[in-house]
Amino acid sequence: MRAVATATSPRISIGPSLTRTAIVLGGGALLLATALVVAVAVGSVGVGIGDTLAVLGHRLLGLPLGRTLSPGAEQIIFDVRLPRVLTAMLVGGGLALAGTVFQALLRNPMADPYIIGTAAGASLGAIAALMAPILVPALVIGSGSSWLGLGVVQVMAFVGGLGSVLLVYAISRANGRVPVVTLLLTGYAVSSVLAAGAALLMFFSGQRLGAIFGWLMGSLASARWLNLAFAAPLLAVSGILLVVRWGRLNALLLGDGPAAHLGVDVEREKLVLTMLATLATSTVVAISGTIGFVGLVVPHVLRLATGPDHRLLLPASILYGAALLALADLGARLAGGIPVGIVTALLGAPFFLWLLRRSRRTGAGASA
Amino acid sequence: MVPTRLRALLLPPLLALAVAACASASSSSPVASLPAVSPTEPAAAYPLTLIDDAGRRVVIPADPERIVSLAPSNTEIVCALGACGQLVGVTDFDDYPAQVADVADVVIGGSVDVEQVVAAQPQLILAAGNELIPTTIIDQLTSLGFPVLSLYPNSLDDVYDDILLVGAAIHEPTAAAELVASMQLRAEAVGAAVTGAERPRVFYEVGLFEGTIYTAGEDSFIASLITIAGGEPITGDAVSTAIQLEDLIDADPQLILLGDAAYDASVTPGVVAARVGWGEMTAVSTGQIVVMLDDLLVTRPGPRVVDGLEALARAIHPGLVD
Amino acid sequence: MTAGVVTDQLLTVRGLEAGYPLAGGGRREVLRGVDLSLASGELVALVGANGSGKTTLLRCLAGTLASGSGTVEFEGRPLAGWRRDALARRIAVLPQQLDLPVGFRVAELVAMGRLPHARRLFASTADDERAIRRALLDADAGEIAERPVEELSGGERQRLLVAMALAQEPVLLLLDEPTVHLDLAHQVSLLAAIRRLREQRGLAVLAVLHDLNLAAAFAPRVAVLHDGRVVADGAPDEVLSAVLVERVFGVRVDEATTAGGRRHLALREL
Repeated sequence: MRAVATATSPRISIGPSLTRTAIVLGGGALLLATALVVAVAVGSVGVGIGDTLAVLGHRLLGLPLGRTLSPGAEQIIFDVRLPRVLTAMLVGGGLALAGTVFQALLRNPMADPYIIGTAAGASLGAIAALMAPILVPALVIGSGSSWLGLGVVQVMAFVGGLGSVLLVYAISRANGRVPVVTLLLTGYAVSSVLAAGAALLMFFSGQRLGAIFGWLMGSLASARWLNLAFAAPLLAVSGILLVVRWGRLNALLLGDGPAAHLGVDVEREKLVLTMLATLATSTVVAISGTIGFVGLVVPHVLRLATGPDHRLLLPASILYGAALLALADLGARLAGGIPVGIVTALLGAPFFLWLLRRSRRTGAGASA
Repeated sequence: MVPTRLRALLLPPLLALAVAACASASSSSPVASLPAVSPTEPAAAYPLTLIDDAGRRVVIPADPERIVSLAPSNTEIVCALGACGQLVGVTDFDDYPAQVADVADVVIGGSVDVEQVVAAQPQLILAAGNELIPTTIIDQLTSLGFPVLSLYPNSLDDVYDDILLVGAAIHEPTAAAELVASMQLRAEAVGAAVTGAERPRVFYEVGLFEGTIYTAGEDSFIASLITIAGGEPITGDAVSTAIQLEDLIDADPQLILLGDAAYDASVTPGVVAARVGWGEMTAVSTGQIVVMLDDLLVTRPGPRVVDGLEALARAIHPGLVD
Repeated sequence: MTAGVVTDQLLTVRGLEAGYPLAGGGRREVLRGVDLSLASGELVALVGANGSGKTTLLRCLAGTLASGSGTVEFEGRPLAGWRRDALARRIAVLPQQLDLPVGFRVAELVAMGRLPHARRLFASTADDERAIRRALLDADAGEIAERPVEELSGGERQRLLVAMALAQEPVLLLLDEPTVHLDLAHQVSLLAAIRRLREQRGLAVLAVLHDLNLAAAFAPRVAVLHDGRVVADGAPDEVLSAVLVERVFGVRVDEATTAGGRRHLALREL
C-alpha cells in the first residue's frame, strides 16, 4: 500500500491507496461505534442516556452506579439490549463476510451466503426441531435442555446448515475437482429438495407455524449472552482465517488456471473457503435464523467504494455489515418487534434495484 | 404434558390445596409441606416450586404482586381468580374482562416485547406453550431471572389443572378450587343433560383456506368438548388438523358448526350449502348448519370454556340444554 | 544472472505420458512419451499441429496437470515433490488471454504476481514493491500502471500479462500460444520483448507457437510435437524441413532462406 518511484519512472502505487483505506475502514469503524451507542440507547422502552451510560460504566468498567435507575433499566440495557446489539453485529459482519467470499469464489455477483444450501439445510433442521414434539410425542425434548447454551432448534439449525453444504460439496466433486458452476447448480438443486421437505413439515405444523415463520424470517429477539459465547469464538476464528486469505481470493478471480499458476492449490483453497464461509454462515443462522439481503447487498455496495481487491473489501464488509444489521435491528425493534429479516428485505431490495439501475446507466459493471 | 402427579393430588374437588412437588436432592431447596385439609386459607408457602405444562421446574420466590400474562387465556384465568389488579402486562389480543384494556401491552401482534416485559418488573410470567410463545423467548425471560409458567391444556381436565396451577402460583388456592368446582359442576350438568340422547355426527369447521378444510384434530381439545356436549366429533389429522373433502363426505356429518363464521362474515350457512360436493352431506340436506359466534369461548382454554361447552351443547342438542 | 549462458539442466522431461478423462469413462491419451530438456537461460519454441499436445505439455510443465507415467524434473527435483507456491516462484505462465476482473488497476493485477512470494499478512514488502516496479518497467507498462484494466487496448493488455508474469520473478517462462490473438505488429513486439527480457533477467523460455516462421525467427531451438511425442528438436534450419512439415502438418512447403540466412518455409500453391 505504498507509492514507489524512481528517478526515471513515474510514481507507481501498489494496492489500495492509503487515503481510500483510511476513509473506508475509518468510516466503517465510526459507523459501527455510532450504531453500537445508538442501538443500545434506543429501544421500545425509553431509558435515558444518563441511565444508559451509568449502567454500561457500572457493568463493563466496574464504576459505581451513583444514581437510582428506573425500574428494569439495568436489565434492559445490559441483559436485553447489549447482547442483542452485539449479536446483531456479529451476525451482520459474519453474513457480509461470507457473502463477499462466496461472490468471489463462485465468480457470481448475485451469490449470497446461503446459495449453496446453508439456508435450506438450516431451515429444515430448525423446523424439524420445532416440529419434533408434535410429530414424535414420545420425544419430549424439554424446553430446558440445552447444549453450550443453545437450544435444540439452534443445534439442529447449525448441523443442518453445515451438513447440507458438505452434501452439496460431495455431490459436486468429480475427478477430484469441484467446478464452480457445478457447485452453484448442485447447491440450487439440493436447496430445492430440502426446501420442499421443510414446506412439507410446515404443512403439518398447525399452531407452530407462527414460530416457524418467525425463525425463517430471521430474528434477533432472543439474543442472549450465552448465544454470544457460542457464536463469537466460531465467528472470530472463521473471520480471521478468511480475512488473511485475501490474496488467494484475488487470484481466484482470474480463474482456476491462472490462480493455479500463481501457486494457489485451487481445489484445496475452494474447499477451505467454502467450509470457513459456511461455518460462519451456519453459526449465524443457528442464533438468528435466515436473515436475508445483508450478505448480498453489503459486498456489492462496498465494492463500488473499495474496488474488487479483497485486501480492503473483506475487513470492510465485516465492519459495514455489522453496523448495518445493528441499525436494521433497531428499526425492527422500534417497528413493533418485527423480525429483522423483514426490515433487511424491505430496505435491501429497493436499494439493490436502485444500484443495478445506476450501474447499468454508467455502463461500468458493479459486478466483480 | 400435564404431570399426572399433580392431577392425582388435585382431583378431589373441594378445598384442593396447592402442593409443591420438589424432587431436588439438595437440602437447601425449598420444599412445601403437604397441607392438611382445612377451610381457612393456609399459610403462604413461598418460595414455591411448581412444574408447568412444559415439564419445567419453576421457582416462585414470593407471592407475586406484579403479573405478566402472554396469552388471553392466561389473563382470563388471573382475573377469574380475583387478581386482575395485579396484572402489569397483557397482550394486545386480550379482550376480557373489559378492565384489561387499561393494562400495558407487552405482546404486540403476537411477538413478545422483552424490553416492555422487563420494564414491568413482573414477579410471575404466564406464557403459552407449544411454541405459541417461542421457547427461545421463554428461555430468555427465565435467564433474566423471571419465573415463567408455561401453560398448554389439551383437554378440559387440563384446563382445570392449569387454573389450579395458577391458583397455587399466586396464592389463591381457594378461589381456584371454587372456580374449578363450579366449572366441573356445569360440565357435569351438560354431560348429564345429554346422556342417553343420540349422538349426532358433528363437524366443527375451524377454517377453509385455499381449498384445505381445517377442523378439530384427532384427540384435540375441541373434539373432547364436542364429545362431552353429546356429539360425535368428525376429526381431521392429529397434526395438521386438515381433513380431505372426500373423507368429510364419507363421514357424513349430521351437524355442521361454523367456527370461522365468528370472524368471517362471508362464511354463512347458505354459502356452505352451495359448496361443491357438500350438498351430499346430511347436515346440508337437512339444513343443520349453525354459525358458532361463540367460537372464541370454545377455542380459548380459559375459565369461560364451559360457556363454550354449553354453547356447543345448545347447538348439538337444542332442546336438552338451555 | 548473465544472459544466454547455458548452465545445468533446468527442466528434464523423460517419457512423459498424460491425458484427460473422457465424459463417458476412459481416457484420451495426449502425450505418449515426451522427451525434452531445457537448460537454464535457454530459449525453445514448441510447435506442432492442433491436438498434438502442446498445451497439455505446457500444463504438465507448469505443474497444473497431473501426468501419467514418465518424469518431469525441475531444478533436479521431481515436479510432484514441489510445493505449489514454491513452483510459482520459479515458473510463470504467460497465457493467451486472461479474463481481467473489472475494477482493478494495472499495478494491482501485476501485484498479484507476488502472491507466491507473499511474506506478510497484509502489507507488501520492499522486495515486492521492487519486483512489481521492475516488472512494470521491463514490460513497458510503466505508463499504464494506474489505468483501470477495462480501459486497456489489446497491446496494453498484452504488456500487462507480461508484467504479471515477470512480477513472479521466475527463472522459467512458459508461453501458451501468446500470439494467437495478436496482429503482426504486436506479435513481433511481444516476441522481441521476450527475447530482450530473457537476456536482461537470464530467463529460460519455452514458447508454444503456431507460426513456424515466427518460431524460426524467434528461437535458436525448435522442438516439434507430433502425435504426443517430440519428433524433432534442434536448430530451426535442421528441424523445419519440408519433409517434416509435410509429415507433421500434412502441408507441402518449399524450404527457403531469407536474406539474413535464416530458414523460411514458403507455402506451395493452395
